[in-house]
Amino acid sequence: MIRGTIIGSVWATRQAAGLAGRKLVLVAARDADGRASGRVVVAIDTLDAGAGDDVTVAFGSGARNVLAPGPDNRALLCDAAVAAIVEGAA
Amino acid sequence: MILGRVVGRVWATRKDARLGGAKLLVVRPHGVYEPALATGHLVAVDHVDAGVGDDVIVALGRPARLAPGGQAGAGAQPADDSHPVDAAVDAAILGVVDRVELDASASARPGAAPGIRRPLPALGGRA
Repeated sequence: MIRGTIIGSVWATRQAAGLAGRKLVLVAARDADGRASGRVVVAIDTLDAGAGDDVTVAFGSGARNVLAPGPDNRALLCDAAVAAIVEGAA
Repeated sequence: MILGRVVGRVWATRKDARLGGAKLLVVRPHGVYEPALATGHLVAVDHVDAGVGDDVIVALGRPARLAPGGQAGAGAQPADDSHPVDAAVDAAILGVVDRVELDASASARPGAAPGIRRPLPALGGRA
């Protein structure tokens, strides 16, 4: 997972099956020191995070487990999902 | 996932069987994302009938590898069409972008992506 900050939202009417109605957010990724890395990724948000929230984003197969846990989620076309809203970090 | 714009199409007759009739599009990621191989573009399987000029959402890596439904090579797709097959794919277009909304205060915060402060010109006309 990576840490990042939500900086916006994305809307897409034409989406792959299984993703309809899902909220998509733009996340500015941080580097290892917590600074902005300059990269922006799109992630599915099931936690109702808002702009300005610090979040962790799960990539790869782990992102599908955020959407639908279990072995039957292989058909979901999703590689990034908000896994947690960060309240504090040391 | 990343945002990018479709800039072209690729045709191939001789290819891995499990790619079947998959439509392959050339996508240029928007400037706020640098592709890992610094090629400036990537080739993605299209699941949503996108076209050249469309801004799209692209999934990368293993989750992108499911073959397009019903288009897999003969014998590769289960009869009930419920289980995707593993295809030679690492990028797939999963949505056509209607609108992008950037939160001004969040993107201007220290620690937000520096590149995002400039407008996204490729997306500006699609609001």
